[in-house]
Amino acid sequence: MGNNSSLMLRDEEIDVITNETEFNRNQIVRLYSRFLSLDKKGQGFLEREDLMNVPELAVNPLGDRIVDAFFTLSGDELESEKRLNFRQFVRVLAFFQPIDRTKKNSLNGRKDKLKFAFIMYDLNKNGCITREEFKVILNSMVGANITTDQLDKIADRTIEEADVDHDGRISFQEFCKAMEKTDIEEKMSIRFLN
Amino acid sequence: AAMIIHFVAGLASLLYLPFIFTIVLLVIFLSATGLTLGIRQRVADLLILIFEWGSNVTEEPEEPTKDEQTQKEEEEPKPATIKKRHSSSDLRIIKREHSDVIENKLQGQDVLKKKSTVSVLVDDTLDFISAGIESIIEDNVTSRFSAEQLPSWNLLSRTKYDFQHISPKLTILWILGFCFRYLILVPIRVCLFVVGMASMCLIASAVGHVPNKSIKKWLNRRAMLMSMRIFSRSFSSIVRFHDRQNRANQGGICVANHTSPMDVMILSCDNCYAMVGQKQGGILGFIQTSLSKAEHHIWFERSEANDRKAVSNRMREHVDDPSKLPIIIFPEGTCINNTSVMMFKKGSFEISATIYPIAMKYDSRLGDAFWNSTKQSYGEYMWMMMTSWAITCDVWYLPPMTRLEGEDSIAFARRVKKAIAKAGGLVDLEWDGALKREKVSAKLIALQQKLYFERLSRRTSMCNDVTDEDMDILKNMSEEDRNQLLKQLDESDDVDAVIRKVSSFIPEVAQLVTEGNQTEPVN
Repeated sequence: MGNNSSLMLRDEEIDVITNETEFNRNQIVRLYSRFLSLDKKGQGFLEREDLMNVPELAVNPLGDRIVDAFFTLSGDELESEKRLNFRQFVRVLAFFQPIDRTKKNSLNGRKDKLKFAFIMYDLNKNGCITREEFKVILNSMVGANITTDQLDKIADRTIEEADVDHDGRISFQEFCKAMEKTDIEEKMSIRFLN
Repeated sequence: AAMIIHFVAGLASLLYLPFIFTIVLLVIFLSATGLTLGIRQRVADLLILIFEWGSNVTEEPEEPTKDEQTQKEEEEPKPATIKKRHSSSDLRIIKREHSDVIENKLQGQDVLKKKSTVSVLVDDTLDFISAGIESIIEDNVTSRFSAEQLPSWNLLSRTKYDFQHISPKLTILWILGFCFRYLILVPIRVCLFVVGMASMCLIASAVGHVPNKSIKKWLNRRAMLMSMRIFSRSFSSIVRFHDRQNRANQGGICVANHTSPMDVMILSCDNCYAMVGQKQGGILGFIQTSLSKAEHHIWFERSEANDRKAVSNRMREHVDDPSKLPIIIFPEGTCINNTSVMMFKKGSFEISATIYPIAMKYDSRLGDAFWNSTKQSYGEYMWMMMTSWAITCDVWYLPPMTRLEGEDSIAFARRVKKAIAKAGGLVDLEWDGALKREKVSAKLIALQQKLYFERLSRRTSMCNDVTDEDMDILKNMSEEDRNQLLKQLDESDDVDAVIRKVSSFIPEVAQLVTEGNQTEPVN
C-alpha cells in the first residue's frame, strides 16, 4: 500500500526541523516516510524494538549499543522515557551529517560525533568508559570466538593506550585525545542525497 | 426537470446492462480462443501518457538548482518499455558508503598490512556505528515488504504521498479516473470474475467425468486456459510472455519469484500447471476439490504440511510421473514487493535435478500487485486489485537448470535465484523472506560475530600472542621481514592455531581450549 498516513507532517514542523538541523525539506519528508515505515504499529513514536527490527541493524555487532546511544542522545533525561518522536529521530541523525565548515551548525561538529561514539561505549552513562564496559563491547563484536584471556589482554591494551591519567578509566577528554589522529569527519559522516 | 433525470437514468441503465453483457460475451469468446484485441495494451499506454502529463503539471515550486531539475526529468518513466526498470532505486535518501566498507571488511577484501589491534578495533567500531546508522535510515530488507514507491503519481489515492502537491487539474483527472474505475470497470470486472469462477469449477467437474485420458487432458487444458484468461481479464491484466520455447512441457518443477496470489493465475494463462498448497476449507476448498476432479494437483492436509518428508515424497511421486503436469512452486515462501528476490528455501530443489525457472516482473505504474499480508486481508487485496487501473506483468521463461556435480541444494537454489533476479531486473538478496514477520535468527548474529573475528585475525596479530620483547624485535626488523614473519605466524601449523580455528565451529573443542589455556602458557 502507499504512504497514506493519518500522521501527517505539518509545514510548521518541517520549518522548525530545517532550522534546527541542516536537512532540507525534501530530506525531511523522506526521513518522515522512513520514520513511518519503521513505526509499524503506527504509534507516532519509535521504541527500541522498532529500530532493532531492522535486520541489518540486528546483525550489526554493535546494533544494540547503537540503539541505546540513539535513545540516550535523543534528549530525554529520564531513563523511563524510551520513546522517540520524529523530531528527536531527525536530531540524532543530524549528528551524522558531514561537517560543513562554512555553516555554524551546532549538531554535527566533531565533538558531537565523538559524543555519540563515547555514549555507545559508556554502558552505565557515568561519563567514563571502564575496562569492564569495554570488554562487554568487545564481547558483542566477536562473540564466543575468543577466549576470556585474549579478551582481557585486548581490553587492557586498549585502555592503557588511551588512559592518560592512569585512573583505570577513560573520560570524554581522554577519549577525544585518543581519537585525535582518526579522521572522525570521514568515518562518522553519512552522505545525504538531495 | 425531475422527469428528464428519470428518463436519462432509465436510458442509462437500459444501455448499461446490455453493454456489460456484450463485453462479458466478447471476453469469453476471446479467452476460449486465446486471441486478444490489444485493447488493454492501448488503454494502458494512454493512461501512462496521461500520468506523465499529470506529473509534469505538478513540478514542485522550489527548484534550487538546474541539475536537480534535469535529474527529476530523467527519473520520470519512459512510456511502456519492456524489460528491466529499477524504479525504487531512484528514491534513495543516503549513499550507503559505510555499509559497503563493513561488507568489504568482513569479506576480507581489504587485504592490507597488519596493524595494531587497538587501531583496527577503533577503526572498525566507528565503521560499525556509521553502518548501523545508515541501516536505520535505509535498509535492504524492510523496504521489500511494502509496496515500491512510484516516480510519478498514477491517480490512485492509495499511492499518493504526503510530499506531493496536487494541483486542481490533477484533482479533476483523479475524479474522472475514480468514476471510470468504480462505475465502469468494477462492475465489468466483478461479472467477469464470477463467470470465470463458475466456468472453472463447472467445466472442471464436467471434464472429470470424461473416461478417455488423453481427451480429458486436452479438454482440461482448454478449459483451464480459458478460465484463467477470463480471470486475468477480470483484473485487466496485461501479461507479456518471453522466451516461450523454454516452457515446461513434460512435467518437472517450475520455480518463480512470488509477489502476489495472482502469480499462479497469470502463469496459468499460458501453460497448465499442477498446483501445490494446503487444503483449505470453505470456498477455496470447494475450488480445490473441483480442480482436482479434472487433473492431479497436490493438496496437503494441515498435519501433512508440517511433515517435510511426506511433502517431498508426494512431490517426487508427482514429478516422476510423466503424464502429470509440471508443478509450480514459489521458494521464497512469502510475497515480496517485486523489487528483489529473497532467499529461496532449499526444499523444492532437493526433489528434482532439473528446474524450470520463471522470472516475473510486475510494472506497478498502473496498479501494484504486491500483497502485503501483514497489512491487508485477502478480501481487501482483491478489492484493491479490482479497483486499480491494470496489472502489468512480464514473464520470462528461463532455460532449464540442472544441479551440478557435487552442488548441494542450497547452492543450487542460490544459483537459480541469481538467474531469476538477473532476468527480471531484480535485486538479488540473501535475506530470508520470513523476516517479514520474524526477527533475525541468533544464528545469523553469531555468523556476523564469527566473520568479524576472522577479520581481526587477518588484520592483527591478536591470535598469535606477541610479548613486549617480540614487539621490540619486530620494530627493529625491516618492513619486508616483518611482513614475512607475520605471514608465517599466520600460516603456521602450530596446534594452538589449528585448535582455535576448529573451535570456532565446535563448542566442545572451544571448551577444551579454554581449559587448556589455564594449564599451559600460550606461546
